[in-house]
Amino acid sequence: MPQLSYQEKSLYGSLIAEILVYGPYFFLHNQNSIGKVAGMIIGIIVLQIVIQLAIVAFTRNRLKDERDKLIELRGYRAGYFAMVSLMVFGLFMLWLHTALGELPVNRMGLHFLSVFFGILVISDIVKTVTQIIAYRRSL
Amino acid sequence: MPSILNQIRELRATHDMTQQALADAIGVTRQTVIAIEQDKYSPSLETAFKIALVFGVALEQVFQYQPKGRR
Repeated sequence: MPQLSYQEKSLYGSLIAEILVYGPYFFLHNQNSIGKVAGMIIGIIVLQIVIQLAIVAFTRNRLKDERDKLIELRGYRAGYFAMVSLMVFGLFMLWLHTALGELPVNRMGLHFLSVFFGILVISDIVKTVTQIIAYRRSL
Repeated sequence: MPSILNQIRELRATHDMTQQALADAIGVTRQTVIAIEQDKYSPSLETAFKIALVFGVALEQVFQYQPKGRR
């Protein structure tokens, strides 16, 4: 990957790992379970370690400067706003579906876990994409 | 239009210095030097002083502040 700094390569690696693990989980599964969530967590950790190790091995200059830190902060800010907004929306939707009787109360815990995890995943992707855009626009 | 302009590209050419060499000298990545040269990123005061020090000139000869609406 020419013209890319270590930080950029690392971000692209993270994005690929997120898409590979979260994509099938959220778009291909039929029924949620604790086991699937646990599998996803282990999957993302293992894949991130493998990809990041490969990037480290093929990148000599791994310097992190002031601009990298600024871009990182921007990413976290965008991710935080996404998380807070989605949390409010997600909790409202859970309440709405429960109030309308569409969601059995005994399955509330699993649905809450699913919504909460989805929010974390989307926020993480928003953070990564925001950082990539900042790098591509040279900030 | 950016409010902070710089002469880094010209100073580099005068000193026959590559972007990577300047980046190594001031402790940033080459991508950051590119962003500064293109007026897309304003460096910290510390980095600005380091750049001036590398070229052996005053800070004002490297960076110029252009208040908005004065063009």
